[in-house]
Amino acid sequence: MATESDGEEDTAGKLTGSRHLDVDDDLREMAKKAAWSVSSCKPGNGVLALRDDNLDTYWQSDGAQPHLVNIQFQKKVKLQLLVLYVDFNVDESYTPSKISIRAGDGFHNLKEIKTVELVKPVGWVHIPLSGTDPRETFIHTFMLQLAVLSNHLNGRDTHVRQIKIYGPRPNPVPHQPFHFISKEFITYSTLR
Amino acid sequence: METLMVDRVQSSLRLFMNRNAIFLCERLCAEFPSELNLQLLATCYLRNNQAYCAYHILKGSKMPQSRYLFAMSCFQMNLLREAEAALCPANEPNAEVPNGAAGHYLLGLIYRYTGRRTCAVDHFVQALGIDPLLWAAYEELCILGAAEEASEYFNDAAAFRVQQQQLSESSSQNLTIGTEYQSLPSSMALGSGDTSPRHSKQLHANNTRETLSHPHGTVMAAGHPTISGPSNISQYYTPPAVAQLSGVAPPPLCRNAHLYLNAIGGDGSTKSNVNAAIQAPRRKFVDEGKLRKVSGRLFSDSGPRRSTRLSGEAAANTNSNASQLGGNGTNHSSAKYLGGLYSSSSSSKTNSTVLRSVTLRRGQPWANENFDEDNTVTTSSSMSALPDGKCLEQDKMGCGILAHDSRLTSGIREFLGLLRTLGEGYRLSCLYRSQEALEVYLRLSQHQFNTGWVLSQVGKAHFELVDYFEADRFFDLARRVSPYTLEGMDIYSTVLYHLKEEMKLSYLAQELISVDRLSPQAWCAMGNCYGRQNDHETALKNFQRAVHLDPRFAYAHTLCGHEYVALEDFENGIKCYQSSLQVDERHYNAWYGLGIVYLRQEKFEFAEHHFRKAFHINPRSSVLMCYLGMALHSLKRDEDALEVMEKAISADKKNPLPVYQKANILSSLERFDEALKELEQLKECAPRESSVYALMGKIYKRLNMHEKAMFYFGLALDLKPPAADVATIKSAMEKLYLPDELEDTL
Repeated sequence: MATESDGEEDTAGKLTGSRHLDVDDDLREMAKKAAWSVSSCKPGNGVLALRDDNLDTYWQSDGAQPHLVNIQFQKKVKLQLLVLYVDFNVDESYTPSKISIRAGDGFHNLKEIKTVELVKPVGWVHIPLSGTDPRETFIHTFMLQLAVLSNHLNGRDTHVRQIKIYGPRPNPVPHQPFHFISKEFITYSTLR
Repeated sequence: METLMVDRVQSSLRLFMNRNAIFLCERLCAEFPSELNLQLLATCYLRNNQAYCAYHILKGSKMPQSRYLFAMSCFQMNLLREAEAALCPANEPNAEVPNGAAGHYLLGLIYRYTGRRTCAVDHFVQALGIDPLLWAAYEELCILGAAEEASEYFNDAAAFRVQQQQLSESSSQNLTIGTEYQSLPSSMALGSGDTSPRHSKQLHANNTRETLSHPHGTVMAAGHPTISGPSNISQYYTPPAVAQLSGVAPPPLCRNAHLYLNAIGGDGSTKSNVNAAIQAPRRKFVDEGKLRKVSGRLFSDSGPRRSTRLSGEAAANTNSNASQLGGNGTNHSSAKYLGGLYSSSSSSKTNSTVLRSVTLRRGQPWANENFDEDNTVTTSSSMSALPDGKCLEQDKMGCGILAHDSRLTSGIREFLGLLRTLGEGYRLSCLYRSQEALEVYLRLSQHQFNTGWVLSQVGKAHFELVDYFEADRFFDLARRVSPYTLEGMDIYSTVLYHLKEEMKLSYLAQELISVDRLSPQAWCAMGNCYGRQNDHETALKNFQRAVHLDPRFAYAHTLCGHEYVALEDFENGIKCYQSSLQVDERHYNAWYGLGIVYLRQEKFEFAEHHFRKAFHINPRSSVLMCYLGMALHSLKRDEDALEVMEKAISADKKNPLPVYQKANILSSLERFDEALKELEQLKECAPRESSVYALMGKIYKRLNMHEKAMFYFGLALDLKPPAADVATIKSAMEKLYLPDELEDTL
């Protein structure tokens, strides 16, 4: 995965796009039962602010870069998309500019899977976790780590207002190689 | 003064002025403390949904009627052990159950909810024996899966019993002045020779009682005369939905009550003897002639309206009784009776005096009213519902009294016939023999069929046959016919869920909530709405609300379970399914749910066991068979799996899933050609199903027919399957290009 200026640069055109959380219906939020932690935080602006569905509260780091958000799952999960909400207009030098995403089994073997650069972002930034390889639409992992490597205007600390992680929905019919999509199949596929 | 107070209380109850009744009754009890007055007070509380009050005042009472009321209060407060102790005192193992059929019915419910199925069945059967018209008992038997064919219960022997009861009722009517209760031996005790009208309380209290949960057709309610006149009729007119799948909703009690009344004492002559014996102290025996005359009247009386009869109004009674099920009752039969009555009144003076006296004796409060109001009563009773009876009855004015008896018999027969059909339909429906059930329901008359209850049942039968379109149609009709009916609407919401009709589903949910915010069905529908949109947390909240509102509503528990599983919280899911099974062991959806959980957890033996249980209960569901097969396949018992799949395929030609599963199993057994054959078939009936093409691609890949594999994978991708499938398929396609370098692991 090359470091690249990802499509999340917020040019005038992209701004509107990331105002809304735009996620496919066949994805669902995966991290409700995960363990979230951060490398440092200012009292009152802790990790809970990242998960409270409130865009007014934010996490503020309080230490040296890189600032880390760690998400540990109870079992290996398939993840497809990471979305975070940041706002340059309000946070200015606290807005992240370079973010690295790492995955692995635990702190000991995290490997970088993606790096993105943000340019004055306002709103939801969608970061797909897949590589270019179609086989790698998902990453299969126990742990995800989001590292804020640098901020706009060389700020030391960072503000992130919300983070959501998405993965595929499980097949409603267990132990099937493929999903059913046609009405005929779906009608008969489950009882309720 | 006591009489006056009692009368006022009773009339307040009749007119649903519960607070007034309670206040006056409390004064009555303070002034004239007696157990009978206490019973009246308890009845007032029960009517006002204050079971806890009734519980406290009746605690420790020994009289049968008191015990019955106490048991009723305990039941409503979910104190099942105390309720049981009240009805069957431990130190009196041979005591007769108070209120006969109604008591047995209540006892049956208690046993059912405490998990003692055989005892429950036993009591329901006894209840039906005493009162063959006690539909609710038969319904419970069906739910427990222990019902014999309807013709076993609603047959000629039953007709004879009912007739005997009517006759003995009339005789007892004549006999006592104070008694009036045609209640059961238990109530006898209450009578104690007091001639005040309030003794009449017994009988008719029923109707109203059960506002709260249990459908007992109990009549002999606590000393309130509840009925009479207008109130009765209105009570009769409660919504037709009798059968509660969950066993909880209040069916129109009045109907049963009346029937019960008529059923006084139980089996034919012996009972009447018993009655006579018990009531002996007060009875004077009436001569045969009077008896006969009275019998006809009494029969139609099944309830309230003697006054109406007297006044010449169509006694909607029988109508209302009949309307139990459909609201369109057997008007004819009632009319017949009425005709007889009136003719009798017109034919001779003595008759009319007898009528009067009978009325009086019958004791119910209306007796007094009868005299006063006489003709006015007729107008007051809101017979609006039963105009037919009225007309017919007037027509028959001229018939002789003796014609009564034959009309009585034929009326009973007709009624039993109706119950027989409905009972058979319901029984088959509970056994999930839905096709047969449908045929039985079609035998009903037009006006009976087009009622909320029947249409809902038909809808449910179609639902069980996995014919969601027809189910939708019938439920829709049911809603049009009776928009206030809630029963079965939870199933309707599931039908719409399966059909993915989100608009209709949300509309249904909104409507149901507006009809009754406290009904579990409404919240189930809401939950289904959110579940359909994959918002499982909100759906779960709604289902939990439904559970809180009615913990005896099995389906709400099951739906909670489904949502937990969707949220991958298997532990709670299992708990919910188990609660559902505790309420209703024959709820196959819960067994199915458990099977799914175990399948996901890869505990394949458990999965197979649970699917098999579900299949046992509903052996006609092709979906269940399919899942059973899948579990067997996971256990590597492929021969058995294939066999079950074959059964599933033949059970429902429209279900593509077993065919697909069969192909899957065959391909895992490396019987590729057969698998492909099945998939080719599927292609025809579900041409837009990507999984079919994907599986074909997979098979061709195994057969090293790469071009075909690519072709089919391409087709599958074109149909835009979800991302997970896209990944799998693309990955498979990639590997196709490197057959020599990589092992074909896909």
